[in-house]
This record gives sequence, C-alpha cells and structure tokens, in this order.
Amino acid sequence: MATERVNHKWGMVIDLDRCTGCQACVVACHAENNVPINTQDRFLQHRAYEWIRIERYWEGEFPNVKARFLPVLCQHCENAPCEPVCPVYATYHNDQGLNVQIYNRCVGTRYCINNCPYQVRFFNWWEPQWPATLRNQLNPDVTVRSRGIMEKCTFCIQRLRRGELTVERQEGGRLDDKTMQERNFGPACVSACPTNALMFGDQRDPKSAISPYFADANEHVHEEDRKTRAYRLLEEMNTKPNVIYLKKVDQYPLKLKQGEQNG
Amino acid sequence: MLPKGKILPLALVGAGITAIVIFVSAVVVISWFSNPPFGLGNAPPQPIAFPHTVHAGPVAQGGMGIQCEFCHRNVTKGAAATVPAVEQCLFCHKTATGGAGTPQAAEIAKIQSSFDANTPIDWERVHRLPDHVRFVHEAHVRFFTQGTTLETQLPVGEVCSKCHGDVASMTEVQPKQGQSLKMGTCLDCHRQNSVPTDCTICHQ
Repeated sequence: MATERVNHKWGMVIDLDRCTGCQACVVACHAENNVPINTQDRFLQHRAYEWIRIERYWEGEFPNVKARFLPVLCQHCENAPCEPVCPVYATYHNDQGLNVQIYNRCVGTRYCINNCPYQVRFFNWWEPQWPATLRNQLNPDVTVRSRGIMEKCTFCIQRLRRGELTVERQEGGRLDDKTMQERNFGPACVSACPTNALMFGDQRDPKSAISPYFADANEHVHEEDRKTRAYRLLEEMNTKPNVIYLKKVDQYPLKLKQGEQNG
Repeated sequence: MLPKGKILPLALVGAGITAIVIFVSAVVVISWFSNPPFGLGNAPPQPIAFPHTVHAGPVAQGGMGIQCEFCHRNVTKGAAATVPAVEQCLFCHKTATGGAGTPQAAEIAKIQSSFDANTPIDWERVHRLPDHVRFVHEAHVRFFTQGTTLETQLPVGEVCSKCHGDVASMTEVQPKQGQSLKMGTCLDCHRQNSVPTDCTICHQ
C-alpha cells in the first residue's frame, strides 16, 4: 500500500500538425465539466462558454486558401496574471502546477478575466440551465457553478484525482501516460482527440511523452534555439504556460503572390 | 434637561431597542455556534422506523453486531457509502419477520411490499455535504484501516464513528454527532494526519 505521494507537475502538448479542427475536444469538455449549453442568444451576447475552443484562421485568399486551427484552453501559467489580482485568493497555483479556481471562494469581481491574456476564463452571468433531457447527464464529480462565479479549464482535476486515488493509493502504482490513456484518467479533451493532437502527462516523469518538449522549451528561452517545434502562446508576456504548442509544418505551402507573407 | 413627562416613554423606547439588539445578537451567536442552528435539520422522519441499535448495536446489549460495511457496501469501494438495496434487506428479513402482530412486524412488512412493488424505499438523507464538496468514503476508510503512516490501524466501524458519531447506539440517526461536518473539522483532521490541505483535494 503506497501512501507516499508522487509529486506531479501536469502539462499539455498540443501538436498543431495533427489538429484537424474537429471540435471533439470541445464537445468532450462540455460533457465532462457541466459547462452550460451555448445557445444562439449567448453567442450573440458574446457570452458563450467554451473551456477549450478551436480558434480558426484563414491563410491566403480564395480560392488559394487554407484553414489553420488553434485549440486554446487555460494555459495554467506558472506566472499567471489572473492570480495576483484576485482579492479573495479564489484562484491560485497548486503544487501540481495547476492554476485552480475555487468556486466557493469566488465572489465574482471578474478582475481575473480582465487580466487573462488568453481569454479562457468565463463568468456565469446567469444560473446555468440544461434541458430536462440533459439533466441526468451532469457529471456528479464536478461542481455546477452557480450565477456570479468565474469558471475555467481545470485540466479535468476530478479525473486526475480519481486516477491518483485508484492507481497510486489503491494499487500502489504510478499515474503515468499509459494508465492515463488506457483507463481515461487524463483530461476529457485528450481522451476525445481522434488524431492524438493533444498530449497530456507529467513534466517531472522523464518517461512521459511531453517531458522532452518541456525540457526543450524551458532550456532554450528563444524560439529559434529550440530543437523541437515547441512554442508557447504569447511567450513575450512571460506567463510561462504549462501548455506547449508544436508548430505546424506545412508540406505544401500556399503559392503566394509577390509581396505576400506566409503566416 | 428632559421635561418630566417624557422620561417614561423614552425609557420604554430604550428598553425596546436594547431588547431587539440582545435578541438579534443572541440569534446570531446561537446559530453560529450550534450546528445545526436551533435543531433545524435534525433527524428527518424516515419512511421505515429503522433502529440502528438493533442491527449494529453490540450483541451484549441485544443488538445483532452487524458491521457497518456489511450493509453500506460501497463505503470501502467508492465515493458514496450508499444505502443498501431493498433486496439486501430481504437477505435476512425474508425469514426475520419480527413475529406476528408486533410493531416491528408492520415496519418489516414495508420492505417486502416495496420489493414486490419494484420501488425503492425513499430514505431521507441525514448527512449532507454542500454540492461543491467532494468527499470519497473509500479514501478515508482506507487511510484509517490500512494507513502505514498511522500508529494504529482502526477497524472500519471506529472509522465511521469518527465523523458520524456512535450510530450503533442511535435509534434514530442524528446528524453531526461526531463532527460538525464543517470545513474546519475536515481541515483539523487533515492537518493532524499530515494529509494535503490543498483546496482541490475536496473542491473540484
């Protein structure tokens, strides 16, 4: 019976070369985390919730055009701009490298939303409602956030905790890449991704698939020095995110007219 | 100087205000320190008068001495302790019908009729935690029964009574006997046993 706790530090790597923009991660996240349904009204009011969203960019001009996708979720920054502005310490950094939001502490000042450069925090302007047919679908492990509360991606901490409990406490093993993949203890978006564009693991575990990317990105501050395709969103802001993106390498780049830049 | 005729009404007003202030502060103090305030939320009426004394009470005092986890089977397996299924009551009560004409026979008959009607018994919940708290029974029972960091390992029944009080001696289960089940008592116990007190251990 292992009672010694493994000191994890979670991290995610998103391979943009593999992302097809299918939005399976978005659906999985909504289902797992009791995120309210986005209706047309909410979109028109610019108050739609998506803990993970696919940003779409167009490259080139019709008909010579390509779509680019960028899944954006809470970056769980080491230097999170949202944390120091909270007057009630409802958001803080825990020892597993997660930027966590404590719903019962939150008083809804929305300072954190204004200070987040990634726009991944969402405020409950209304009491969340689900159609009667979906009420039994709610996940009992996740708090339903009431009106006046800020919410955001948690890296599916309820699944990680369940994994730690069953794999590490009960069975005496270690929650590594393999157990997380086989027994669905990783975040829901990672489990749902059909092309394995999203990878999740322990940065401190040298055997995990993500740790080389984090080692590379932490060692080389400048993007051009890195040996892998790793980069972070808005790196110049020094937020030190725990989410790393891998650049898309396009085999067939667009043939551009003179003067145009490939973006 | 006040005119002579107005002293009495003013004194009455003053006494009234003092009484109101004392009453309000007494209500606040009592509801803060008593849990539940004014006995609200104590022992809800149950559909069947189930006595824990008879089932779980020690044999010397006329009980059956059944272990907690025999009926609340999920307590060593999952998050919720769970109330046993009607079928499970009938394991014994198919034959233990309490004797004809006795008051307990009428209560036991309710189990059989519930089983025949294919409807569960609507037990009222006694111990309730807020929605934003995640409590896993299995983890706590395992820590106290098998924990290697502890000096002594407890039997399951003693672990239950740490928070729920001595349920085996209660005819009607009363909430908040062992612990107030407020966050402070959770934190105290976590600190004493050097278990993490990170918010996300319970709040997810």
